[in-house]
Amino acid sequence: MRTTAPAGNLASTGVVPGFPVAGRVAARTSTCLALAAALVIWLALLGPFAVLIQHLSFHSIRAALGPPGALDPLWVSLGASAIALGAMMAFGTPLAYLLARGRLPLARLVELGIMLPLMMPPLVIGLLLIFLIGPEGTLGNLLADIHLTGVNTFFALVVAEFYEAAPFYVLGAYAAFASVDPRIEQDATLLGDRPLQAFRRITLPLAAPGLATGLATAWARAMGAFGAVIIVAYYPRGLPNQIFIAFQEFGLQGALPFALLLVVAALPLPVLAYLWSARNRARVAGIETE
Amino acid sequence: MTAVSPRLLEVDLEVERRQVNVAACFALEAGDRLAIFGTSGAGKTTILESIAGLTRLKRGAIRVDGQLVAGKVKGEPALQPRHRQVALVRQPTTLFPHLTVEQNVGYGVRHSSPREKVAELLERLGLTVLARARGAALSGGQRQRVALGRALASSFRVLLLDEPLSAVDVAARASLRQLTIEASADRGAAGILVTHDLTEAQAYSDRLGIFDSGQLLQMGGSLEVVLSPASRRVAELVGYGGFVRSELRTDRFYAIHPDRVLPGALFDRGVVLKGSVLSTRPYGARYECTVAERSGEQFTVHLDSPFVAGVECTITAIEPPLVEG
Repeated sequence: MRTTAPAGNLASTGVVPGFPVAGRVAARTSTCLALAAALVIWLALLGPFAVLIQHLSFHSIRAALGPPGALDPLWVSLGASAIALGAMMAFGTPLAYLLARGRLPLARLVELGIMLPLMMPPLVIGLLLIFLIGPEGTLGNLLADIHLTGVNTFFALVVAEFYEAAPFYVLGAYAAFASVDPRIEQDATLLGDRPLQAFRRITLPLAAPGLATGLATAWARAMGAFGAVIIVAYYPRGLPNQIFIAFQEFGLQGALPFALLLVVAALPLPVLAYLWSARNRARVAGIETE
Repeated sequence: MTAVSPRLLEVDLEVERRQVNVAACFALEAGDRLAIFGTSGAGKTTILESIAGLTRLKRGAIRVDGQLVAGKVKGEPALQPRHRQVALVRQPTTLFPHLTVEQNVGYGVRHSSPREKVAELLERLGLTVLARARGAALSGGQRQRVALGRALASSFRVLLLDEPLSAVDVAARASLRQLTIEASADRGAAGILVTHDLTEAQAYSDRLGIFDSGQLLQMGGSLEVVLSPASRRVAELVGYGGFVRSELRTDRFYAIHPDRVLPGALFDRGVVLKGSVLSTRPYGARYECTVAERSGEQFTVHLDSPFVAGVECTITAIEPPLVEG
């Protein structure tokens, strides 16, 4: 039985010789199914944002965010997340690089250590942090010597955010560095670069899109950190805590303006990082030239 | 007593690899060029990476201008890569993908007028129109030109080339090869080319090393090695396709090279062989015939006029080398 159209009709039917009609139908069906699945996922993911906008009114936003000091949780969250992010970059970047280049002893164990906070419930992390940096812990006693307290302080908030978000940055940076061929770093040093120069001129620009994505994810996680934070740093009140408290005291309508504030404060960096990364990757891939 | 000045490049190495241990020992003077020829997987690339100091040696040392580049010598630290003055062109090509062609070529230029030097080099490499393109937009041959240019623009004393022109059009190879040779000569540098293309090896250098299974089997003049292979394996690698037992020395075999045969019996030119023609097919502008010698040994010959398949034939192998079984 023939499954292809006669050669004379090719122009009118668009049938490719040798390509079975049944195969084309199957291919078209799977494309439609994939598109439908993508649409469902997209709508499901965007659904909460749509609901947030739908249920907010200008009046409720002004009532919640208008009073003096209402924006304090925002500044606390921004400050703590920025410091946590700085610490992640300072300590996580060298760690990720050494891991990616296989230069660490017991690398698998180190990886496991990085992933552990990801696998533990944030509430548990919070409880353990109290033992670690709280006033009763060994480390807590040492911190007390330099006038730092690991419970209900800005420092505690930074530490809790760090624990919740750092694995996202380190693992992202690890993948980003691993994607850079170590041979081209070697080429740069043979061409006269010092190791740090080669890192700055070659490795960093090539890993930058991945680093930016990791950083953006970690930022979003730090800004939204709640489980560990509510245990070790109920005060000073960051935005997630404020949302929780407003929800308890005033219900959904009282919490939504702060939820909007958190989304507005946390999202621009990830979105910009994503756009920049995509553009950078396209440029290196030759899709876009100077 | 006068001190013996060191050779420009001294290589004595043994490297442990998963499949095969790689070992080599040779030295090059300023201006020397060496081509290392061998099959894929023989360990040729390992040799180059070791000389560049990028591979941990199991034993031995590499020295450039008397200074340690690789290997462990007590009280003598190895030079940092940036001080080695070694340029390496790899296979597959490794460009800096985020930089343009011009930036790639100029990457290692450390003197007062880099732009002029790079522009001149781009011109000679035929890359001027692609100066602002990035690696991903280039073909394999163009990428190899950029990698070659990047190496030639740097301040090297030792130039290491790993199949640098394998993807370049045959027509452009000669000029690029000439550019490479000139750049090396200008700097008084030593050069090593590794390739699995014998004609490319011979075109680059008049000194040839045959490398197989991690060992340097023979080193000598580029024609000498082909005409007088030291062993049957070397003969096989440089293109000898048949081995016919000698009647005088029965433990030895005449190695038959397809390009070193003439039709007919020419007793004053070499060894006369008789056999039957199994097949004939075009081979470039000549013909390739497969012949079964009387002993049963089969080999191929390249001739200007074809033998007809199925007929008896007589050929003369010109001065065939005698190799062990």
